[in-house]
This record gives sequence, structure tokens and C-alpha cells, in this order.
Amino acid sequence: MTNKTKFILFGLFAFFLASCKTDNIQELDQKQWNLVWSDEFTANQTNGIDTTKWTHDIGRGNNGWGNQELEYYTDKTENISLDGKGNLTITARKENFAGASFTSSRIKTQGKFSTKYGKIEARIKCPYGPGVWPAFWMLGTNVDQVGWPTCGEIDIMELKGQEPNVIYGSLHGPGYSAGNSITQRYALINNRFDTDFHTFSIEWNQEKVDYFVDNYLYQRIERSQAKGNWVFDQEFYLILNVAIGGTYVGYVNIDTPFPQTMYIDYVRVYQ
Amino acid sequence: MKKYIMIQRLLISFLAIFSLFWSCKRDVDSLGSPKLSHDPEVFIDGFSSGLNYAAFSNSVVTAFTVDKTNTYNNSTASMKIDVPDLNDPRGAYAGGTYFTSVGRDLSSYNVLSFWAKASKAAEIDVVGFGNDLGLNKYITILNAVKVNTNWQKYYIPIPDASLLKDERGMFFYSEGPENDRGYTLWFDEVKFENLGTLGHLTSGIMESKDVTVSAEIGEKISMSGFQSIINLPNGLNQVVSTSAGFYKFKSSDENVATVDEKGTITVKSQGTALITAQSNGTTSLGSLLVKAISALPQPSSPAPIPDKQSSNVLSLFSNKYTNVPVDTWNTHWQFSTAEESFIKIQNDDVIKYKNLNFVGIELVSQTLNVSTMTHFHIDIWTPDNTDLPKSFKILLVDFGPNNAYGGNDDSSHELSFTKPKLATGQWISFDIPLSNFSGLTRKNNLAQLVLSGDLPNVYIDNVYFYKADTQVPDSPTAAPSVPTYPAADVISIYSDSYTNVANSNLNPNWGQSTRVSELNFNNNRVLKFAGLNYQGIQIGSNQNVSNLGFLHLDFWSSNASNLNVYIISPGPVEKPVSLTVPTTGWSSIDIPLSSFAPVDLSKVMQFKFEGNGDIYIDNIYFRR
Repeated sequence: MTNKTKFILFGLFAFFLASCKTDNIQELDQKQWNLVWSDEFTANQTNGIDTTKWTHDIGRGNNGWGNQELEYYTDKTENISLDGKGNLTITARKENFAGASFTSSRIKTQGKFSTKYGKIEARIKCPYGPGVWPAFWMLGTNVDQVGWPTCGEIDIMELKGQEPNVIYGSLHGPGYSAGNSITQRYALINNRFDTDFHTFSIEWNQEKVDYFVDNYLYQRIERSQAKGNWVFDQEFYLILNVAIGGTYVGYVNIDTPFPQTMYIDYVRVYQ
Repeated sequence: MKKYIMIQRLLISFLAIFSLFWSCKRDVDSLGSPKLSHDPEVFIDGFSSGLNYAAFSNSVVTAFTVDKTNTYNNSTASMKIDVPDLNDPRGAYAGGTYFTSVGRDLSSYNVLSFWAKASKAAEIDVVGFGNDLGLNKYITILNAVKVNTNWQKYYIPIPDASLLKDERGMFFYSEGPENDRGYTLWFDEVKFENLGTLGHLTSGIMESKDVTVSAEIGEKISMSGFQSIINLPNGLNQVVSTSAGFYKFKSSDENVATVDEKGTITVKSQGTALITAQSNGTTSLGSLLVKAISALPQPSSPAPIPDKQSSNVLSLFSNKYTNVPVDTWNTHWQFSTAEESFIKIQNDDVIKYKNLNFVGIELVSQTLNVSTMTHFHIDIWTPDNTDLPKSFKILLVDFGPNNAYGGNDDSSHELSFTKPKLATGQWISFDIPLSNFSGLTRKNNLAQLVLSGDLPNVYIDNVYFYKADTQVPDSPTAAPSVPTYPAADVISIYSDSYTNVANSNLNPNWGQSTRVSELNFNNNRVLKFAGLNYQGIQIGSNQNVSNLGFLHLDFWSSNASNLNVYIISPGPVEKPVSLTVPTTGWSSIDIPLSSFAPVDLSKVMQFKFEGNGDIYIDNIYFRR
């Protein structure tokens, strides 16, 4: 009896201690990061998207941007704007537009900014619902010369709206793309990515790409893991978008709530 | 064992208090009174502490049992519900509530979750919490819960947990037969949780729609359509119904309309007021815009009381008759602006329609067979201008043999009425032969009645179908069939088909009060004895009919209850034979002459008719 009581006492205390820590303790290399580029989407930024940093992808791409996606990307303020509270918002809407059933937006730094290696981070509140596919990702700047997947793709955060508590971090390259990409999911046990902001980042050097959610390292992809050429020793540009439907996320549900908005507090690149 | 548990509880309580200082919980104040239990468990492997069960009235009280075989995740026990078949004498459905006698503090949870499965795919009518067998102030309900033969987890969000600091209604359910058949249902792991995997809790009133209603000063209107919406772990929204207790209501203009904590609006003066609500600290979706208007004139007296025999009536709405079930007196079809209310005028129930452009009235769940009815009746009263071309229209719809909308077997017909049938400020009674609804080709599955037209304010009463009393003609409309016996076999007294015995007196004065006349149908004459007490016929000369077999008569009466015919021979010797009256059309009879014994058939001199009512007679002859 006394033993059992003690055990209960100990168990409860252990719980208190554990509950005070958001994560298990990780031993990580100390690094000194210097901010080299960012967009803070500040509340007083009244002239819309900073066109010195971002450019729009418009339309449906080739075969729904290669994934049979259902949306038409526009640069309308209904689809992309600054919310005046310090966030960029990308809003997917259920509306017929130019032959598509949904509109949304996709912006990129192609031709304006690119980086090789470093820490790339964004603070994002995700949209949700089956078939909703928000992403924060990068493509090699030589995509127009060598094509995909040879150019390489680094997905810092992708979410399938039917699992709003799960994100994926992935690398695509020649011989390991699409369904064969190197990927890892990260799930919140009792929380979700669409109810509050979370930071999503990578730390990237010539040996590896480390993936973080809220500064918690959940995946390390090393050079040796690539089943083909390691194509991540070159410049990459950034992309933010909300896709609807398609081969990756799956079917949109007739009951999926719309509109759906991704809120981006900031995007920062460090060296 | 008991003592040990006590100690353990004390210890845990101590730790719970201790944890106020040590835990990472930010909101210390929200933990509420330490007197009330925070126990989240309702039914895990048995009744949680302090839990009771009560079956709902008219339900099968034994429907709920604890099952130790079919459990979720091989746990010790589950809740088993046996839903009865239709017409089960023990009760019409399974339903009950699990409640505690001392309240629990549920304010630290955001959802009631449970696992459920069933012996077949089904939709549970109602599952929820907040039914405390008392005020039920904070009820939350998941309707039409789809279950199948696999265990699935279900979530009922708490619309505003901060209100549930002393809640006794832990869980309740209600389910009837599916397609008339019962089945078995299991619940397990019923508990309150605080789940971060649920998100985006919002609330709505008026089903989250912006609704406009016009209301008369003095009228009371109830807010409705309370709902709470949450996004489930699968990214889809779930809507639950809630009670008014979760809301704080607000009127934009208290001079026009006030709203109390139960969502009851009282209309005060002319103008408009927007009623909105807050729940869980945020503005609810949906609103009710009240347009207050001065009270309409209404009938000062009830509609005329129907005079039809109830056995000949199928009534939808009348105080005089037992009414058939009507699904709704306002289907609120799209584009319909009609609003109905049920009022009393001198204790007579009347339905009042406002803003009537058209209104659907449905008997879909139990369609009406009016095939034996002859007329449709409705009384209406309108304060509105009824000058031409203002109209009032009545549409009847029959769903046909498939007893459902569509399927190419529906039929319908609309009739339009104008002045002078219409009038302002008085009851107008419509008695419309169903045959006038000529497009209504079938009448076995009458399902809809649609009222429309140009009268925005209509009071209606006494809506019924009836079978008109069979129209009994009080005189024949034709002569009886022409006799076919050869003249050689006949001695005729009164017939246009034979040569009659000459010089007969059809109206000898025997002191009778009967009025005698003749009707003529295309040169075929018929004798009429009106107001018969008795009446004689003096044959022109005595007739020997002893070698003949029968006396033939054609007779007709709609109102006689007694009629005898006599033949008379000198003496006088007479003998009556009774005839069946009243008749349906002409009756034709051949009476064996032997029936008249002891009359001397060789010397028949007179006839006598005795009885009452109005009698028509033709073709009086003896035949072989």
C-alpha cells in the first residue's frame, strides 16, 4: 500500500515536470546565424506584396502545376493580401474562375532572391480541411534550364488539410522525387497547425538538411541518403502557396470549409 | 479497499491543489470551486462516480444494459442500447440520460467524446449532454449520428466550457427504429476531454443565417437554430445543436424589441431591431432582423362551425373534427415569405399567415386518401383589399402511387378565386367540388396544399375534405323501363305500353288526403301519389285475372317508409302485399296473384295503396 502510494506520488510529479517542457531536450550544435533576407509582412506595409521580393505564379500551370491541382492562382487581393496585423494571407476560395473551381495564390522569390545553404524559416498558421494543401518550399534556380526534379526541391512545410495536426518535410531530386522523395511527417499529439502559429525551418549545409518545427529537429537528411545526385549545392528560391486537391493531398471534400487562409507572420533567411 | 481509495482520493485532491502552484496552467482562477469534481469520465468500464441513469418517458426502460462482451478496445464493459422494433409494446424508442446528483466542473474540457458502433448501419437520432432532468440550461446535441458495425470515435464540442462549472447532465441519447426495425447500439469510453486536435469553435443562431421576420407589436418570437461548429481532427466541420443558455442576446433597439436570456423577443413598437448573440466571448453567426408593425386587424368572430357529419369528413384543421396529422403548415420553401402563427379567436383555433406570397402545407409523411371525398372546404378571412384583380389561389398536389414527390406520377391542380367570391373583413367559405381540380387526376396520396395569391394576410380555418350527402332526387327523372310482355298476355290498368281497361278512375274519392297527379316523360305518363295516406283505383270494370299469374307494378319513392298494395274483389275482400320502400330508382315487381288470397281473382274491381311519403307508380297490369 505504501509502495503504491509512493509510486503514484512519483508518477504525478514526473508528469508535472514533463508537462513544463514543451519538448524533449535536444543537443544541437550552436550556430551563429545572421539574417540576410526577410519579409516581416509588417502591419504598416500598406502597398501590398513587396514586389522587390516576390513575384506571382498565375493560372493553373501545366497539368495543375504538375499535380492535377484544382486551383487557379491569381494575384487578386481576395486571394493574397496583407492583413494589416503583420501577416501575409493566402486565401483559397471555392469559386469558378477561368475554368477552375477554386482560386488561390502562389508567390515566389524567383529572379528576386535566392540562397544556397543557411537557415530558412517561416512562422505560419495553416489553413485546414480535406484537399487543402498549404506549402512553404523551395526550388533550384536552374529549374527552367534543367527541369524538375533535376533542379531539386526542398519542402520545408507541407500540410494535408485532412490531417491538420501533421506536417511533412521533404527533399525531391533526380531519382527520388514525388512518391519516392525523402520525407518525414511530424505530428502534434494534442494540437494542430491551423489553430495557432508555428515556425517551420530548415538548416541546410553541404552535408545535410535539418528540418525543424518550433525549433524541434524532427528530421535530418544527409547527403548520403540521396538515391541519386545530391542537387542541393546551388541556389534555391522560396515559394509560398495554398493548393487545392491534386495527387499529393487527395480529394477535396464537398464539406471542406471555404475560404481557407494561410497566415504567414514572416519569412527569414539566415547565413 | 474503500479506505484505501479514500486515501488515494485525498492524496490526489492534495496534489491537485498543490499543482496550482507548480503546474504550467496559466489560468489559475478558471479551476473553479474545489468542492465540485472535475471527473471527466462518464462511462469508461462502468458508471463513473455519482452517475445515475434515467430512461425517458415512453421509451423502453430496459433498453440500456452494461455489456461485457462487445466493448471498445477490449475494455471491460460498454453501454449497450437495444433499440426496439416499431410497435414494441414496451416503448416506442430507446432513450435516457446519464446524470449526476451533484454537479461536476467541466470547465477545463472542450469536448465530450465517445466511441460507438451498431449492429447495422444506422443514424442515431440524438446524442448529447446537458440533460440534467431539470432546467437543461446547457444542452448540446449531435443529431443524426451515423454509426456502423465498426467502432468509431465521435466528438460533441462544448460550446462554452466556462459555463459548465456545475453540470449534472453527462450524456444522453434517443433513438427509434430504423425503417421500423430495432437494432443494437453500443457506446464506450464516454468522457470529457480537452483536445487540441479540435479547432475553430464557432457558434451560430438562426442556423447561422441572417433571417428577417415581420412581427406585430405585442407579439413574442423565439430565437432558434442555435448551433455550435467545430473542426474535427479530419479537417471537416461538425455542427451540433445547442440551447439558448450558451448565448448572450442583444437587441440593436430595445425600444422596438427586447430579448431575454432565453432568446424570447418581445416586440414593443414600430421600427426594426437586429437581434444578435455572443457565445464563448465571440459574436455568433446569424441574426434575426425584426421588423415591427402595428397589429393587424383580425376576425372578431370565429369562422362558421362546419355542419358536415364527421363520418364524411377528412379534416386537416378544425376544432369540430379530429384532424389528420399534418407535417407542417409552412414548409418555408425557397422564396416563400409566409409566416404562420396559431391563434385563437373566441377559443376557436385559427391559423394566421402574414407576408403570404405562397405557403406550402404538407402531409408528406402520411399522405391522405381523398378519393372517396367530393369536396374541399376552407374558410378564409383577410383584412386586405380584395378588389379585382386580387386573387386567392388553392393548389392541391397528389404524390401518386409511389407516395413520393416526383416519379412522373404526381398530379395537381390550382384554382384561382377573385371578387365577388373574395371579400374583405369577413369569413369566406369555400366548398369546392374536387372535380373542379381537374388536373388532380389521382386522389389517393394527397400530400400538399399550397395557398397563394395577392392577399398577404390570410386567416384560415376549417380546412377539410368531405363527402357531400348523396344527392337524393325527390322525383324520378325518367319513366320506368318499357314492359316487354306481349299484349295478349296482359290485362293493363295503367300503362302507356298497352291498351288499358277503359273508364278506370285513378282518383276515386275515398276520403283520402293523398294528392294525385300525373307526370309525363316523353309521352310516358307516371302516376304520382303525393303525401300518401291511402289511395284507391277504381277499375273501369271487374276483371277476371284468375287465369293470369302476376300483378306487375313499377314504383319509386325516395321518402316513403311504408307502402302496401291491395287488390279488392266485391265484398269487399281485400289483401295487402308489402312493397319495399324507399326505392333506389324505379323498383319493378311481379307479385304472384296467389299472394292476394282470399281475394276473388275472377272479379277484381279495385286497387288500394296505403303508406306514406310521395309515391310514383307506373305499369300496373296483370300478366300471365
